Amino acid sequence: MARAGAILRALALAYRRDQKSLQTVVGNNFFIVSALLLQSAGGFIYLIIGLVLLFPLSTDPLRKIPASRLALWPIQRRERWLLRVVSPWINPLSWAIAGLAVWAARGKVTLGFWGLAAGLFAAGFLLSDLSFVSTQTVWRLIPQFPGPLNQLIRKNLREMLSTLDLYCALLLSLSAVVCRVLRVALPPEGLLAITVLVVLALSSYAQCLFGLDGAGGLGRYRLLPLRGWQILAAKDAAFLLVVIPLTLPLAPLAGIGAALVALTVGHEPSVAHPRKQTRWRFSSGASLVFGIFQAVLMAVGAAGVFFSSALVLIPCAALWALSVLYYGRVMERWFGE
Amino acid sequence: MISCRNLTRRFGEFTAVDGLTFEVAVGAICAFLGPNGAGKSTTVKMLTGLLPPSSGEVEVCGIEVCGMKVQSDPLELKRRIGVLPEDLGLFDDLTVEEHLLLTGSVYGVERHEARSRTNQLLHALSLEHGRHTFAASCSHGMRKKTSFAMALLPNPRVLFLDEPFEAIDPVTSRIMRGLLESVSRRGVTVFLTSHILSVVEQIATQLIMIRKGKIVWDSPIADLPQALEQHYFDLVEAPVVEELEWLGPARS
Repeated sequence: MARAGAILRALALAYRRDQKSLQTVVGNNFFIVSALLLQSAGGFIYLIIGLVLLFPLSTDPLRKIPASRLALWPIQRRERWLLRVVSPWINPLSWAIAGLAVWAARGKVTLGFWGLAAGLFAAGFLLSDLSFVSTQTVWRLIPQFPGPLNQLIRKNLREMLSTLDLYCALLLSLSAVVCRVLRVALPPEGLLAITVLVVLALSSYAQCLFGLDGAGGLGRYRLLPLRGWQILAAKDAAFLLVVIPLTLPLAPLAGIGAALVALTVGHEPSVAHPRKQTRWRFSSGASLVFGIFQAVLMAVGAAGVFFSSALVLIPCAALWALSVLYYGRVMERWFGE
Repeated sequence: MISCRNLTRRFGEFTAVDGLTFEVAVGAICAFLGPNGAGKSTTVKMLTGLLPPSSGEVEVCGIEVCGMKVQSDPLELKRRIGVLPEDLGLFDDLTVEEHLLLTGSVYGVERHEARSRTNQLLHALSLEHGRHTFAASCSHGMRKKTSFAMALLPNPRVLFLDEPFEAIDPVTSRIMRGLLESVSRRGVTVFLTSHILSVVEQIATQLIMIRKGKIVWDSPIADLPQALEQHYFDLVEAPVVEELEWLGPARS
């Protein structure tokens, strides 16, 4: 048991040093705006949102130990079981969900709810193991693009596909598709609102465009004979390639407007204050205030295109182009340091 | 081809590289040797423009490097050099083959030529079976060979290779040596770091040894007064074998 205790202590230390899980929720635009909009909906709604958002963050803590190392350690079967059962409680998010459950149920915790939470955790563990194996086949299906930035754009699309933001946006977009299939008429304002929500779900990623490149990738950018604006444009192209199909069943031009604004605003934190991100998590933006600032400007841009004219896209695109050029220069200075 | 004068790099109070001055001629294979933490990788980073020196001058292919801040076209140096960096510089989301195709397109190699060079390099480095493997899933050896192939593919004027032979199987290591000798005969300058002295002895034409950031030896390999390993131990660091009592008595 002493061996299992030592491993659990090491895991707890690793978790204390890696508090990113909670930060990703706190800094995610979609979570921030959802929390603001659902203030009046009551505690249980928060609980459901909390579960949905926290579930993917609750990956198996044992994965922090390299599998080969865990296999080589001389620990007995019952010690492995102990690690399996106890290790989830090292993750502060487990306690957060337990606390949420108690708070939402006002002390009357139902077995069904605990069953749901346990099931989500178990699914999270299994998905952690399966995710990379299954995704590799899908990743290869990313189409080719013309031009020298082809492989960079494909890589950036794959990075976006390994964030949960995209799947959140996809769910919202699919809801619009369902409405169209069922011939449920959405009011124009509703169409715009869902469009903005789709881009909003992706907007935190626009604040951390280089978060999934890793040290090796960032090093390679510095070696490639490419201008900063080209590297940034390859990132933005991937973002737009995701936004356009997702907003097609909604208001695509307003979606593009919102995306251009999100990228323009997101260049500053992406380049000047790059933040490392974790795969299969929600992207974590620069700060709460910056997230709200970005969301408001996106809504203004989308509304301008939607209610006034598609010509509003021209100033949006011009500002975006200026931002790409300027932050491309900033990147080149950063490369030289 | 590579010229360095009083190259120095300090990190706070610590001086990692201390006044290096050396020249490497066109077509030379220069091995830059030293123990871990001696300043080899820091020097490579400065020579390739990845890290600005605290003081001193660096010129590669006639271009003043110095952190790429003084050039009119910051990409000119990058186009002329191939680098295998310490961290290999690979993207987790690209396959081995895609890394090479990316290199071809951004270095302006014509598409079908890039495809042909990619196939040749994958074959030469025994990477064919793993061409569709994502870098994140590759073994360390595969990743290193991919990074080596990326350095070679644009046919640069100078190659900077940080520990190219470490973690490489003997057959591929021999092929890599052959490739380096071949490019060297065509006038490409190779600057490499390594801890595998037996390989260095066979391939290098020039040796530079550093210790605590300072050059302790710089000569053509033919001028070595004794075997490389012994010379390294004498100049850089002599091995001291500790007796670990707790291992117990030796068995006959």
